Amino acid sequence: MRRVTLVLAVAVIVFLVLAALAPDLLAPGNPLAIHPLQSFRGPSFAHPFGTDESGRDIYTRIVHGTGASLLIGLAATAIGVGLALVFGLLAGLGPRWLDFGTTRFLEVLFAFPGLLFALLFIVIYGPGVVTSTVAVGLATAPGYARIIRSQVLVVRRAPYLEAALVLGRGPAHRLFRHLLPNVAGSLFVLVTLGIGQSIVWASSLSYLGLGAVPPAAEWGAMLSAGRTYISSFWWMTFFPGLFIVLSAISTTVLGRGIQQRGRLS
Amino acid sequence: MKRFLSPLIAMAAVGLLLVGCTTTAAPRGSAPVSGGTLVYATGDAEPTCLDPHVGGNYPQALVATQYLESLVSKNKAGDIIPWLATKWTESANGLSWDFTLRKNVKFTDGTPLNAEAVAANVAHLQDPATGSSTGYLALQKVTGVTVVNDLTARFTLSTPDSALLDSLSQPWLAIESAKALKRSQAVNCESPVGTGPFIVTKWVHQQSISLVRNDKYNSPPADAAHTGPAYLKAIQWRFLPDSASRYAALQSGTVDVIDNAQPDTLVAAKKTKDLVAIDAPRPGASNRIELNSSIAPFDDKRVREAFIRSADVNDAITSLFFGTAKRSYSALSSVEKLGISEPKLFTYDQKAAAKLLDEAGWTQRNSDGYRVKDGKVLELNFPVSTNQSIPAEQSLFEQLQATTKQAGFKVDLHPLDLSSWYGALGANQYNLVSAPYTKVGPDVLRILYDSDGTKPAPSGYFANHSQVKDPALDALLVRAGETSDQKERASLYKQAQDIILGGYYILPLYDQQNHYLLRSTVKGVRAMPTVSTPTMYDAWLSR
Repeated sequence: MRRVTLVLAVAVIVFLVLAALAPDLLAPGNPLAIHPLQSFRGPSFAHPFGTDESGRDIYTRIVHGTGASLLIGLAATAIGVGLALVFGLLAGLGPRWLDFGTTRFLEVLFAFPGLLFALLFIVIYGPGVVTSTVAVGLATAPGYARIIRSQVLVVRRAPYLEAALVLGRGPAHRLFRHLLPNVAGSLFVLVTLGIGQSIVWASSLSYLGLGAVPPAAEWGAMLSAGRTYISSFWWMTFFPGLFIVLSAISTTVLGRGIQQRGRLS
Repeated sequence: MKRFLSPLIAMAAVGLLLVGCTTTAAPRGSAPVSGGTLVYATGDAEPTCLDPHVGGNYPQALVATQYLESLVSKNKAGDIIPWLATKWTESANGLSWDFTLRKNVKFTDGTPLNAEAVAANVAHLQDPATGSSTGYLALQKVTGVTVVNDLTARFTLSTPDSALLDSLSQPWLAIESAKALKRSQAVNCESPVGTGPFIVTKWVHQQSISLVRNDKYNSPPADAAHTGPAYLKAIQWRFLPDSASRYAALQSGTVDVIDNAQPDTLVAAKKTKDLVAIDAPRPGASNRIELNSSIAPFDDKRVREAFIRSADVNDAITSLFFGTAKRSYSALSSVEKLGISEPKLFTYDQKAAAKLLDEAGWTQRNSDGYRVKDGKVLELNFPVSTNQSIPAEQSLFEQLQATTKQAGFKVDLHPLDLSSWYGALGANQYNLVSAPYTKVGPDVLRILYDSDGTKPAPSGYFANHSQVKDPALDALLVRAGETSDQKERASLYKQAQDIILGGYYILPLYDQQNHYLLRSTVKGVRAMPTVSTPTMYDAWLSR
């Protein structure tokens, strides 16, 4: 059973990556082309996911929106993990006072709910795709940093690192040859789990009108546009919502799968 | 399953009983019932001040209609009728008007309605410290009010004003207690005091306003359905900006009345017996997109015409409004008798648009298909107020963005909240804008298209967004505003509209949409014939 879900998750991710890299292969149409007189059509052969208020094909828009949504998820996670790596290593490897300072600083950041922190950032720097990506990245950084710190602390006391120290290896060698490779395993799992989370957050920000600007085909923005018509035309919210959920679930399942394999080996 | 089924059967049985009752009992809905609290959910922006003298926008008018009253009103036929003033006379030269006030009317703080109160209100509206825009602009020709006797107030004017009565009928020029106006503006904004059928008791910001019945009320307008106090005991005025939640709340019965109903929900509401729709187009200007003629590229008439020709408005309205809105080709609302309509000027024609842009020198196109001239892209900044445009209207702008792209225009839509939107207008950083402007009568043309309208009112707002500065037009509007000869007035306003429409300063869309949905248990609600705000004075609940 676990195998099946994993295979399904991988299949979804392959589809999403394909949609992100070569959207025209899966949906040859133009996601911005309007056909006012074909608006609000339900799912059919011509429009598998129906059409929206301007007669745009929802399937085409979802496929073409994948790139933006995935990219936001990946970039935000990269920013979050990158920052976290710096803080985590500083705290884990530095002297006691630095560890104390960094950890307290992270705890202060923790006091803000992540999304609130992202909103604050957007209020200051203005809405847009770039700011919302950076905002989500910043908001997720403290969580990663704490996990990395604890991993570093564990690895730091491992016998092989003490051996390296005794053998007279320099700090750079110890960091890149021993510490990072050993932290990397759990980091990879974290990143995979984090992408799903970041996609959801970025979509939330677009949903609130703080991310992508109209008429861009972005999942959160599509969901927001469809919300107005939710009592009359269900497909306008259902399909963008489905893809946000699917992408978040499949990256999470994949992350869990990798985590478990790591434990077994 | 069984546990689930039995209450279902019980409910069905009760339902059948109820159906039986309603069919056999005497027809309800004849005699109004007193009491009950009506819940109103508004989708308009929350006012920043409940005194409509301050600023003066439609959200303020909506709620103020429940607790403030004006000197005069209008009936369905569009004629001015008495309200707080029982009669009025204009002097022969048109430079002074005497208003006789209704007897025994008291403000809800106990002070009497008298000529002094009227004078204090006009002074309040004209005081720059008040920050009025709508009332201030409507009273531009009034130099002051003098007290003739306790119940007679004399308005003195600098030039004759054929629109004075129309202006005074609006909620933005309502009469408030002079004693209350002397309080600080912050206090008066929270609890304005009028003569109306309801009294503001509490305003929980971002949430709701509580209003209770004024039990001593005795001053309904001449066309009201009853006299004496209102039927409803109280009104809860809630702010529910999300249109889908607003409709869901109405469907479930959590609220009784909603405004700004979405076109698709109007169609759905028609199919059920639980809901009733009121369509009350606003007077004054039509809903239109204004083209800022003061800055490039719209300082060139050909570029303005090209934009208008390349915007496919009709298909957009068909797709988004389900037959609830009719295309307008006029600068004025369809309820304005003196409005003229020019469909020929606004036919959709991409070829004509392309030709005009070529003539204007925008001959190159960049790789995205946008027109370029001297290295500059034909880019248009379009700030959109998400508080003033329903989602269907915002989608309409997106569709116009797509069709004008074919001609080579790059339209940048910027959805903004109300205060950022005012900011963008104030900074003159816009090429396109859609701003509602409600005023009773064709005098709205003077406010929107007179050169003076490019100068900000004390509140910082200016109304001439297309920034038309045409001395010939100014002269026509001045003469139209002064003459009381109806034929001449109509002819002058026609000439003025010919200049506005023919100059391609605006792209008319439809009447300012104003649809209310109410539960069928709510009776007696009507839209005021003045600015189409709903009045709850005659309303009662049959439940």
